[in-house]
Amino acid sequence: MSNESQQVVLKHEAGSGTPLTLRNVSVAYKTRKGDVQAVRDVSLDLRAGESIALIGESGSGKTTLGLSIVRLLVKSAQVTNGEIIYRRNGKEIDVLGLNKKELREFRWKECSMVFQSALNAFNPVIRIWDQMKDTAQSHGWKDKKAIRQRSLELLKFVQLDAERVIDAYPHELSGGMRQRVLIALSLLLDPQVLILDEPTTALDILTQRTIIDLLRKLKEEQHFTMIFISHDLAIAAELADRIATMYAGRVVEVGSADDIFYRPRHPYTLGLIRAVPKVVGDFQELFSIPGSPPDLIDMPSGCKFHPRCPYATDKCRQEEPDLVPVGPEHMAACWHWREVEKELQSKPLHSIS
Amino acid sequence: MALIELKNVSRTFGKGDERVVAVDNVSFAIDEGEVLCLVGESGCGKSTTGKIVAGLLEPTRGHVLFDGQDISKMDKESFRRYRHSVQIIHQDPYASLNPTQTVRQMITRPLLRHHKARSNEEAEKRAIELLEIVDLTPAQDFMNKYPHQLSGGQRQRVSVARALTVEPRFIVADEAVSMVDVSIRVSLLNMLSRLQDEFNVTFLFITHDLALAKYFAWEGRISVMYLGRIVEDGPTRRVVMDPRHPYTQALLAAVPEADPELARRKRRIELRSADIPSLLDLPSGCTFHPRCPYFVAGVCDGEVPPLVAIPEGGRVACPVRKDISIQLIEETPAAPAA
Ligand SMILES: Nc1ncnc2c1ncn2[C@@H]1O[C@H](COP(=O)(O)OP(=O)(O)OP(=O)(O)O)[C@@H](O)[C@H]1O
Ligand SMILES: Nc1ncnc2c1ncn2[C@@H]1O[C@H](COP(=O)(O)OP(=O)(O)OP(=O)(O)O)[C@@H](O)[C@H]1O
Ligand code: SF4
Ligand SMILES: [Mg+2]
Ligand SMILES: [Mg+2]
Repeated sequence: MSNESQQVVLKHEAGSGTPLTLRNVSVAYKTRKGDVQAVRDVSLDLRAGESIALIGESGSGKTTLGLSIVRLLVKSAQVTNGEIIYRRNGKEIDVLGLNKKELREFRWKECSMVFQSALNAFNPVIRIWDQMKDTAQSHGWKDKKAIRQRSLELLKFVQLDAERVIDAYPHELSGGMRQRVLIALSLLLDPQVLILDEPTTALDILTQRTIIDLLRKLKEEQHFTMIFISHDLAIAAELADRIATMYAGRVVEVGSADDIFYRPRHPYTLGLIRAVPKVVGDFQELFSIPGSPPDLIDMPSGCKFHPRCPYATDKCRQEEPDLVPVGPEHMAACWHWREVEKELQSKPLHSIS
Repeated sequence: MALIELKNVSRTFGKGDERVVAVDNVSFAIDEGEVLCLVGESGCGKSTTGKIVAGLLEPTRGHVLFDGQDISKMDKESFRRYRHSVQIIHQDPYASLNPTQTVRQMITRPLLRHHKARSNEEAEKRAIELLEIVDLTPAQDFMNKYPHQLSGGQRQRVSVARALTVEPRFIVADEAVSMVDVSIRVSLLNMLSRLQDEFNVTFLFITHDLALAKYFAWEGRISVMYLGRIVEDGPTRRVVMDPRHPYTQALLAAVPEADPELARRKRRIELRSADIPSLLDLPSGCTFHPRCPYFVAGVCDGEVPPLVAIPEGGRVACPVRKDISIQLIEETPAAPAA
């Protein structure tokens, strides 16, 4: 599947500094039963050229956080607190203050998102070419030839048979091809930041691999700044420089991929890692986390993980811990992270047995 | 003697131009108390095979034997007994539980209907036992609950408890844990394993997730399906640690690993094509041949390669590579000082 003959000229200008900063962001959904606190007090810096993965179980707030960055939350949701700051070429933008028109530009030219389960979201009667052309034209591109040129280039970059795919209808393409078209489309106006929500979920193993390799290429060759959202730890292990674990709407740990996988300090992160089997190598014992995730309308007191946590004490039941440094560039929100550290010294998380 | 055996089973759907062979000449036997894992990508025929095993779908060709008896030749009573002995658990616990019934009703009704309990009290007692077996404790708390009041993992446990009401000897678990969160998946798997250990229940465990297959069937066997055919099978350890069929190798190499170092060191296998052939227009010979990196013209695109036993255990349907091992992990770069 190597495409030597399809050398592509795509060149992405990697930014510098910190393109995106979230400060104390909280988001709630209004429902009949009460407010769902889907994201609580999240602060994160995204550095130019790095890829960060948001991991955590279903309902932990990953998608909500992604949607709040591109301001595509549903009407019933509200950012109740915090700031989102975007930077490019020394200019700062207050994302939460953007008006409708500015937002449209922002979503394609600065920070674009490939949505969870967007595979079926294509309009079935619009050819890929029309989709790409309409998008480019609505952003002021006039030269149709140039648009076609760019579109073909991008489709080749995502390793599609561009000439064939560009005139195809979505239903003529397989799931993996559609996902690649979506990625190409998100790159159309050369955004600085790319958010990918569950980019490989629902794809078959071999297809999933081609998407992972493609995303790695975007990261390593084009230096895109990326946020991956996934409940699958393996995607994070394959693609992320840094990882943030989310639980009940909060980031409870953030660190380098190696820190998270080999030196986790939050009991929830440790629990997740011990629950996931590896394919290669010898048998490995797995452990599940007792209980189930909390009700986000009526959350437990103190640390939201305490009802499921083997380290929990009275302090955990009473007070919610803040993220504190637990190592260089590594933070965790747990009163007892030193005990996790101690336990891992006696029982390290080996990479390969 | 095998508890269940498939002999040259095929199943087609549709007619004329639309005709697909979803399961093509599949044979395997599962002994009492054994676990067989069926793995493969979407559409390869896993669920169809599972339904045939459970007697929910008739094969177009071939035979299904239960306890040595051909199910197509069974009298009504034997067929009924067989159908009760084999229970199927589906992927989606939302769809398989009746939303208007309480857990109590879902479990006590089949107990009474199938004469596994003679009175309401007896059914109640047995229901509590079953809930305890599937780790829904304290069981009394769950008896009055409706499906919407349960989490996904709990619902799946209820489906298992309900399947257990008829005291099955065989369970077909079709992606039974695929929809539950990772943190609770392991405890579900362990609960199923316990049924095997304690009650000698036999399993056909269907999944697209190879890591799960490896974990659940470590003491058992794995069969790998591709486009309706089994291309490789054998003891799980052998299939996972020393895969021989190029398709099995490609799958194992492609699975992303939840471990950054492993992800870096895992070998890549480049296929010749990313296109998955359509069941409506299958390639000749080995159906993997248009994608296979080891393709040999004349050998691979002629006859369909048969499954051939190998000395290390199991069978491989590849005449070119069946005796050749490959490394899935690159050697460690110099080990860092401790
Ligand atoms: N439109 C909505 N109205 C009310 N609650 C919502 C809405 N969308 C999401 N939620 C709730 O907000 C919480 C966070 O949801 P979100 O989709 O962000 O989680 P996630 O981590 O992306 O989960 P998944 O892995 O399932 O995609 C969940 O409890 C969810 O039920
Ligand atoms: N009732 C049916 N009518 C027509 N075609 C069918 C029917 N059931 C299955 N098929 C086809 O048979 C093939 C095998 O389907 P099957 O559901 O067994 O695959 P699977 O391996 O279980 O896939 P998945 O992993 O997606 O569940 C598919 O091409 C499917 O479209
Ligand atoms: S039989 Fe031939 S084409 Fe098929 S997998 Fe083996 S080597 Fe490849
Ligand atoms: Mg989500
Ligand atoms: Mg299926």
